[in-house]
Amino acid sequence: MFTLNFLIRRLAQGVVIIFLVSFLIFTLLRVVPGDPVRLMAGGMAPEALIEKIAKDMGLRDPIIVQFGRYMGSVVRGDLGQSFVRPANGASTGGSSFNDSTRGERAEVLTLILEALPMTLQLAAMTLAISLVFSAIIGIAGGLYPGRWPDKVAFYISSIFISLPNFWLGIVLALLFSVKLGWLPAIGYNGFAYTILPAIVLAVEMSPVLIRTLVGSVSSQMTEAYVSVGRVRGLGRTRIIANHVLRNASVPLFNLLGIQFSSLLGGVIIVEYIFDYPGLGLLTINAVLQRDFPLIQGIAIVTSAIFVLINIVVDLVATSIDPRLEY
Amino acid sequence: MALLELRNVTVALGRSDTAKVILEDVSLSLAPKEIVGVVGASASGKTVLSRTAVNWLDPPLVRRSGSVLFEGRDIYGMKETEMRGLRQRISYVGANPMGAMDPTLPVGAQIVEKMRAVMPDVSRRQAQERVIELLAAVRIPSASSRFHDYPSQFSGGMMQRALIVDALVTNPAVLVADNVTQPLDVTVAAQVIRLIKELTDQFNTAVLFISSSLPMVREASTRTLVIDRGRIVEEQATEALVARPSHPYTRELVSQTPKIWRGTETLPALPEDREVVLSLRDASQTYRVKKRSGLGGVNLVRAVRNVTFDVRRGDSFAIVGESGCGKSTLMRLLSRLELPSSGQILCEGKDIATLRGRDLLDFRARLQLVLQDPFGSLPPRTSIGRMLEEPLRTHGWRDREKLRARVLKVMGEVGLAAELYNELPLGLSAGQRQRVNVARALVLEPSILIMDETLSALDQAEQFKLLDLFQKLQQEYNLTYIFISHDLAMVRKVCNRVAVMYLGEVFELAGNERLFFDPGHPYTMALLSAMPTLEDKRYKPEDCLLEGEPPSPLSIPTGCSFKSRCPRAMEVCNGVQPVLTVRHEHDFAACHLVKAEIPLIEDSVEGASA
Repeated sequence: MFTLNFLIRRLAQGVVIIFLVSFLIFTLLRVVPGDPVRLMAGGMAPEALIEKIAKDMGLRDPIIVQFGRYMGSVVRGDLGQSFVRPANGASTGGSSFNDSTRGERAEVLTLILEALPMTLQLAAMTLAISLVFSAIIGIAGGLYPGRWPDKVAFYISSIFISLPNFWLGIVLALLFSVKLGWLPAIGYNGFAYTILPAIVLAVEMSPVLIRTLVGSVSSQMTEAYVSVGRVRGLGRTRIIANHVLRNASVPLFNLLGIQFSSLLGGVIIVEYIFDYPGLGLLTINAVLQRDFPLIQGIAIVTSAIFVLINIVVDLVATSIDPRLEY
Repeated sequence: MALLELRNVTVALGRSDTAKVILEDVSLSLAPKEIVGVVGASASGKTVLSRTAVNWLDPPLVRRSGSVLFEGRDIYGMKETEMRGLRQRISYVGANPMGAMDPTLPVGAQIVEKMRAVMPDVSRRQAQERVIELLAAVRIPSASSRFHDYPSQFSGGMMQRALIVDALVTNPAVLVADNVTQPLDVTVAAQVIRLIKELTDQFNTAVLFISSSLPMVREASTRTLVIDRGRIVEEQATEALVARPSHPYTRELVSQTPKIWRGTETLPALPEDREVVLSLRDASQTYRVKKRSGLGGVNLVRAVRNVTFDVRRGDSFAIVGESGCGKSTLMRLLSRLELPSSGQILCEGKDIATLRGRDLLDFRARLQLVLQDPFGSLPPRTSIGRMLEEPLRTHGWRDREKLRARVLKVMGEVGLAAELYNELPLGLSAGQRQRVNVARALVLEPSILIMDETLSALDQAEQFKLLDLFQKLQQEYNLTYIFISHDLAMVRKVCNRVAVMYLGEVFELAGNERLFFDPGHPYTMALLSAMPTLEDKRYKPEDCLLEGEPPSPLSIPTGCSFKSRCPRAMEVCNGVQPVLTVRHEHDFAACHLVKAEIPLIEDSVEGASA
């Protein structure tokens, strides 16, 4: 009952959030300088033609009207068509206005659905690497505060947090693909292409997870139930495995919800460096080409993902700790 | 042969020769099925003693010499695994029931886990059945559904009972109970002691009952040891110890135990026509709490319900009741930290809810608050002088010399040395800290002081000193005190008028003598019967002690809210809510018995004059 009520409430909130995000992105895109029609039609197109295309596409209507029209089709599952990309895949930015190769424009939804699984795969890989790594380092650090595992955890997280991801990406690519030839680095042609970018992102994410784990595990270890547990006859391993880690995981889950957003931010740079065909690369190109429908589509999809992930995280956290109320 | 025996145990804080010794040469023995009490003041080494007995000495605590024998075997000479197996026979219950279990797992599951950890042969099913059976045996209502509840859903008293189940579930030979009644309300504490005695009978368990309260120990044990600064100073059969204490420290302990009915001085009578300084008119406070299930619904928590009383100048007015009765909410209303959801609070005739700006500031200067926690209530990085100047600055004082002079004067009055002016509060004892708190309230020369459990964190001796100080200050400045407290002995000693609260309502409002010698409400009688004293009780627990705990303020029963626990409940209590009814001119009680003029006890003891 609580779960159902929770889901209904949070999904309703999520719809409002997504709506607000869409509105913000939509408005900002249209007030910044730069005319997308000029980019679409090409630099040589006559002014009158540009005006005509703009009018036909409804780009000269008041913003609120455009937004209403846009949201109307979004709720029907139609995110519109890209301004720039043709359905056959080639990029047309900057080509001539009467280029016959241009043909049909690509559906935004299709573009996103092609890129999204790639990014989700990368994100899942990143999460797996950073969770395993942080758990080993962080739990050990939390169990022995002030001793060497704690110090190791501190040094590792300090070093990792100071490494810029673009630099690390280039260095790893140089080392593992160019010098050693162990892993591929550029583009995507199979699962192995996910590993290097995932490592870079995991290095970026781990320090925060490690610090949180060290803190929450060591503070749980000082709780009364741990020392009383021993007197009640529970073994140390059992107390740690069944109780301490359970309690210490709650702040970790909450943090993951937030970290995921920074992960999707980090994805933009890392995907660009590794030319990984995910949502990040799609975003960069869309921004560079002023491809309004595509940017909006990505914004809606990513905000929906954030909302869903945070709902899942909170649900997991409440199911672990019944005292929490979201 | 003794079941559990401590032989010349010395425990110190650290390994060096200069380390502080906590227990010195302590010996005691416990025979099967015996209940042995250990009594001592705070910091006398009680808790370390109880930990030593169950092999729970964490660094920096070190056992220097001596041994602890269980059935003749030294538990400190055992391997870790062997000791863990022995936990089946040696159990422990501590003073902090709320922290003792993992908050994220159901209570029942954790007791099952413990049982199976020390008795691996028991199946999960058997364990569960046994736990539910025991939960019912300690009178936890609807035990089989409570089994699945989380620690946060248990009240302190219920949790303590669940932990007693946890300790007894493996049928131990020894139970070490370390100050188990300390965090509990008096009526619940009395229930828990009764329960421990019953259960030891039923399960043949010997109990080492350690407590800071001599009356509690007397209630529980047949033989008692007195511990002072880490040494056992006296050991006698409990009744003999109370009647004929031989060691000076025991004598002090016995004489410091508060008296309620015998040998207390009568408070000086105050004239009845003093001016009313604070007046509550039907004041209520209702909190809205978000519901966990249901879409965005709210629960109404009626924390204070239709409270009406007057406080006159010079009164020492007590508001008493057990946890959750609305005392603290009432404090927040009186001090205008919150505004009542209905009704009025008048200070010197003016409704404090309407005060604004200058008037409000003046009201704040007239009414000051002294809080419970001596540690959390002082900013740790502010010097004491600075702390005491702060309220004056807020109220417009600027001249440095005057500020300093005023602060030093108040510090002198509450017994703080002038050298502390530039000190941080770090090194101060709890008693000194409470003096700083009192000084901070007094510095504005208020006429009303609200003491919210101000003395409850202090030990007996320190409490007496502060109470003397309060009395002196009251005479000097004609102060009005409002004591919010659960400590009836303190109330008996200093308060001339008492309001007894239960579930947000005032059940009884009476003068000191009347309340303690001729209470008008069964609840007051239950409180009096549960009081930890060494005297013969005027009201026998057998006649008036309550079962169970107060109902939740979320669903207050119709009619009389006390009917579910009242030993005298009648037909009329179901439908009609009793209102405060006058008895003997100035005293009131909210009970149908008063209106029907049925006495609470038939053979009223003599000496019941007001």
